Amino acid sequence: MKLVIDDVRCKGCNLCVMVCPYHIFQEGRRPNRRGVFVPELDRPERCTNCRLSQLYKRRLCGVCQTICPDQAIKWVPEAKHEPHKVVIEY
Amino acid sequence: MTVEDWFRHDRLPHIFCAGCGNGSIINSTLEAVDSLNWKVDETVFVSGIGCSSRAPGYIVTDSLHTTHGRALAFATGVKMANHDLNVVVFTGDGDLSAIGGNHFIHACRRNIDLTVICMNNQIYGMTGGQGSPCTPTGALSTTTPYGMDEPAFDLCDLATAAGANFVSRWTSYHVRELTRSIKLGLQKPGLSFIEVMVQCPTNYGRRNRLRDVEAMVSKMRDHALLKEKYDRLVAERKPIPEGSFVVGTLTDRNLPALGVRR
Ligand SMILES: Cc1ncc(C[n+]2csc(CCOP(=O)(O)OP(=O)(O)O)c2C)c(N)n1
Ligand code: SF4
Ligand code: SF4
Repeated sequence: MKLVIDDVRCKGCNLCVMVCPYHIFQEGRRPNRRGVFVPELDRPERCTNCRLSQLYKRRLCGVCQTICPDQAIKWVPEAKHEPHKVVIEY
Repeated sequence: MTVEDWFRHDRLPHIFCAGCGNGSIINSTLEAVDSLNWKVDETVFVSGIGCSSRAPGYIVTDSLHTTHGRALAFATGVKMANHDLNVVVFTGDGDLSAIGGNHFIHACRRNIDLTVICMNNQIYGMTGGQGSPCTPTGALSTTTPYGMDEPAFDLCDLATAAGANFVSRWTSYHVRELTRSIKLGLQKPGLSFIEVMVQCPTNYGRRNRLRDVEAMVSKMRDHALLKEKYDRLVAERKPIPEGSFVVGTLTDRNLPALGVRR
């Protein structure tokens, strides 16, 4: 699964930046065309839900999605299996 | 169904300000509702007037957006007319405890089978930041420019004293715990009252030296004191940290309830 932020809905509050245990969300540095500083994703493939939700058939962690007041965060299935190297820091 | 299916996507993005926590509370509520496999046709959301009361407008179920303070009166009517409906009320601190104060205590006294979720931002958000009965002492608002000099309501104590079966308090930062607590409340026969402390960066934070959303949310996170820890501190006669508020399930009992599904 792939983590995506809907930049039409995001209002740039940075609550996701505060809560992600992997610090995947980084404060946005450039405004989009609506003037919103949408957070940038830092190696989103580290996200627990991206890696394991299909295996467990349910949403794992997902705290960013629940706290996002603007319903802007979701996971979409990836086009096809793209192997990538995942480095997890503890 | 999934949580996403409970939203009216044609109405999103919603009108709440950037960083307003009301949206997080809607997410938690819908996650709890979805986990109980409730049916859209058997669920009704009711609200009064205020920013918080806009919430039912973004949910696919039938809903009532009523007059200021009267959400509980309408919800009581819905529940008494049809006990089989699951009725959830969204309300604000001003809506519930100022203009709707009497409805609140009597709904608790009747212990009618509703779930009341109060988004307590400690201010009148929608009308531009007037002080509410939940504005803490010393806080600045447009109607208290020298600082609030009245004590604030403890809505959870009020609900417990008036007879509600389930009372809990969380914040919009503790979304996981909040979801779990709302689920318990939804399952409980009788009135369940869930108070959610929430940030209003526009009208509360800005005036009270909490410059951004992060400052508001960190303050809530750092001052939330778990009920279990609070009880321990009291038992050990240790001082309670200043400015903290208790979070967790505060009341859970089984008094006779009204309007419970047969
Ligand atoms: C009978 C009546 N009186 C006053 C108002 C004006 N009014 C609209 S919203 C509001 C306050 C809402 O505050 P709260 O319930 O705390 O909700 P918030 O906007 O903070 O979420 C008031 C006083 C009204 N709409 N109707
Ligand atoms: S929590 Fe949601 S609205 Fe806020 S910055 Fe993150 S994606 Fe955007
Ligand atoms: S005024 Fe306050 S309560 Fe209303 S939408 Fe804005 S931040 Fe939320």
